[in-house]
Amino acid sequence: MTETEEKADPPAVMIEPIDISKLDPDFREGIRSMPNGEELSACFACSTCTAACPIASTWKYKPHQLIRMILLGMRKEVLSSEEIWLCLTCFECQERCPQNVRVTDIFFDCKNLAAEEGMIPDSIVGLARELTDKGQLYVVTADWEREDMDLEPEVPGLSTEEFKTILKGTRTGRIVGGDE
Amino acid sequence: MVEVKTLVSNPVLVIGAGVAGLTAATQLADFGIRTVLVDRLPIVGGNAMDLYKAFPTDDCSYCFEGSRLRPGIRKCFYRSAILDQPNIDLKVNTEVTEISGSPGKFQAKLSVGPQYIDSKKCIMCGLCIECSNAFCLPSPQCQPQAVIYDPEMSDEGAKKAEEECPTKAINLGAQPSEETIQVSDIVIATGYHEMKPVSIDEYGYGKIPNVVTQLELAQILDPNGKSGGALVRPSDGGQVKRVMMVQCVGSRDENYYPFCSKICCVYALKHANIITLERDGTQVTVVYMDIRTYDRHERYYRVARDAGVRFVRGRVSRLEACADGTLDIIAYDSLLDKYLKFNVDLFVLSSALEPPKGSAELIESLSLHPASGFVGPADLTSENAVVAADHVYVCGAATGPAEIPESVTQARAVVSMILQSRK
Amino acid sequence: MPSYNLYMGCSVPANYPNYETTLFRVADKFGIELIYMEGVSCCGSPNLRAMDYLGWLIVNARTLAIAEKNGHDIVTPCNGCFGSLKDVYHFLTHNADYKEKVNAELKKTGVEFKGTIKPRHFIEALYNDVGIDEIRKNITKPLDGVGIAIHYGCHLLRPQDVTEFNPEIFDDLIRVTGASVVEYPLWKQCCGATVLPVNEELAIRLARDKLKSMKEAGAAFATVSCPACANQLDLQQLGLKESYGEEYNLPVLFITQILGLAMGMKDDEVGLAMNRVPADPILEHLSG
Repeated sequence: MTETEEKADPPAVMIEPIDISKLDPDFREGIRSMPNGEELSACFACSTCTAACPIASTWKYKPHQLIRMILLGMRKEVLSSEEIWLCLTCFECQERCPQNVRVTDIFFDCKNLAAEEGMIPDSIVGLARELTDKGQLYVVTADWEREDMDLEPEVPGLSTEEFKTILKGTRTGRIVGGDE
Repeated sequence: MVEVKTLVSNPVLVIGAGVAGLTAATQLADFGIRTVLVDRLPIVGGNAMDLYKAFPTDDCSYCFEGSRLRPGIRKCFYRSAILDQPNIDLKVNTEVTEISGSPGKFQAKLSVGPQYIDSKKCIMCGLCIECSNAFCLPSPQCQPQAVIYDPEMSDEGAKKAEEECPTKAINLGAQPSEETIQVSDIVIATGYHEMKPVSIDEYGYGKIPNVVTQLELAQILDPNGKSGGALVRPSDGGQVKRVMMVQCVGSRDENYYPFCSKICCVYALKHANIITLERDGTQVTVVYMDIRTYDRHERYYRVARDAGVRFVRGRVSRLEACADGTLDIIAYDSLLDKYLKFNVDLFVLSSALEPPKGSAELIESLSLHPASGFVGPADLTSENAVVAADHVYVCGAATGPAEIPESVTQARAVVSMILQSRK
Repeated sequence: MPSYNLYMGCSVPANYPNYETTLFRVADKFGIELIYMEGVSCCGSPNLRAMDYLGWLIVNARTLAIAEKNGHDIVTPCNGCFGSLKDVYHFLTHNADYKEKVNAELKKTGVEFKGTIKPRHFIEALYNDVGIDEIRKNITKPLDGVGIAIHYGCHLLRPQDVTEFNPEIFDDLIRVTGASVVEYPLWKQCCGATVLPVNEELAIRLARDKLKSMKEAGAAFATVSCPACANQLDLQQLGLKESYGEEYNLPVLFITQILGLAMGMKDDEVGLAMNRVPADPILEHLSG
């Protein structure tokens, strides 16, 4: 019986290091130049952000690791990570950062870069379509409920046209553009 | 001008003419106390002489902050203090070989090296340096203000220099001498020595030319140095584009020195900042276990991060010298749990600060309390950490790794103790 | 009493008419005039911010700019809208380059963002303009002895330098009704709303942890100031029976519903029937 067991070969290379020279040295400055990204470099990897995050325990790359990866220039890994889209945007990491790194804001910046490169979850593309098609995320359907509550059936003042026009001219429009 | 009062008294012996010793000696002398200041090297200044910029002020003015009454500025201060102060008897090239007697009446035997150059005559014209490599001027601000002579490099040119010296300041036949002096108090200001990490084989120090220590890096960065301050590789003088520093080399290591050398994080960062901000386009990576920029020195760390110095928490996994003089380094990043591969021109070790040669003997001969090889206080519970024994004081890095402001503060505390004892 | 531009956002009108109506009823009681803003739409939520920062800036700057026309500050009943408006306001008043860029776009729609009016959450306006003492005079049906857990909501509290929200406002508005504020360990934690589109399971888990923490601390009710949080904490309780086999029966009321009840409004006036988890215990208390 033992003959049928395959003998595992040792790995070809014991250590496969990340080659720093192959990373993107401009990624760090790129993020720093984005909204609220300036303080990125202040990170000293204390991992307070990870401690503060309610869901990082389930993440492959923890918040402090993502920040480190940005600093090292691991652009591809960061922008294709699913973690940035799982961010609750609860700002607990940012609020507790002892160096005033705007961690949550930086993850927003990463998502913007990822979206620009088409790395965006389908569900978010769906929301983009809602926004450009309907001009809002929620549309009144049960207007009788509003009337029951002594409210106008239509939301007073609501106008979605300008909103749709604006977003069709920005990245949201490009994200949904292919289907138009 | 400081009024100099000469009191009739036994002199104080200050061992070590670094920052702490110089401060103690000049202040004692200012109070009219005769002071014998000895140093085994031919010039004063100790380790501080090898620092291009010293923290926390990034120059060397800090230690003179309290001496504003003195004429002259900054580096010139040594000159006015040492040359103009009749109460100081400076003996360079001198070692204390034996101490006997009793507190208040010590006999110190001094071994005075050959006085090849009469510093009072030398005008630093440079003629001898042109004649022979055995002469050199360690720095324009060196004290005494004189060239120094290395007999091991002696050649025909040296003889010519001796003959042609316009002030007849050179005596190649000078012989060592010995003398015994009686002193009432001894101030130990023997400083520290930066460990040469030859025995930590994973870093290749002593075998690979582009592996240096922080003090060696300071000398490369010094504008008065060989490269004029340009960051160059020791191997071939080529420009350095990428630097890696490693912290805690021999410090916090039970196999070498169990203690934290305290100031190496700060000066490593000081160097990293100088390189990043003043040597265009050079990338610095610091591999560390903990960054200990205690107290207000945290700003060096913050500036470093802002400047783009890369920090990797972890250790160097392996190092390989390449044919082109660069080094391939794999470091383990414990924060990412990944191995990172770097290629660098210069690998700088933040090596442990150890007690200087002769510390153990000095501690033994005066029955002092050793503290990790440095000089500990006589009474651990006392507030007077500078009191090492009856009439024996210690200040500066002789107590353990210390920064310049601490050394100065301790030296002043010593002066204060001696003055009180003589009231 | 002051007048405000009312920015409803999209969720409250579509999903929570009970919140919308109590907003007006409470405001009326204290003479606060709420004017529905003309020509505005959705804030885009954090999802728009995530994929299209510039678009998010423009649409929210436009809302702020429209309010600048009549000069009244904006109030909103939604933490999501509050977060968007506060963040865009903060960002554009601190980043001249972006302000210029955004205004170049807004010019096409005939408005300009100057930063002259401030966005607020409705409860801030209530607290600051009316004041606790004045509210206390109107409490006719005190909720003495009722323990209420407050879910402040992330975008109301954080980032603090942007939202400038003081959580004691919320506490005081609960306490003035005679109720006690139940402290619970997860009070800061997110309800999970933002990740609902990306990972429903995770979102439900977060809501569940939150409810569990409140319940274990002894809360009889929870209160929210945001429709998205209400979705998570009220609506999701139905699903929790299925996914976790857990039943919390923790009624979740909007802050304006609680204030309304304490000021003597009837349960149908505050739309209590629309709350998914039946709020019977509070009615029992009030009738008892």
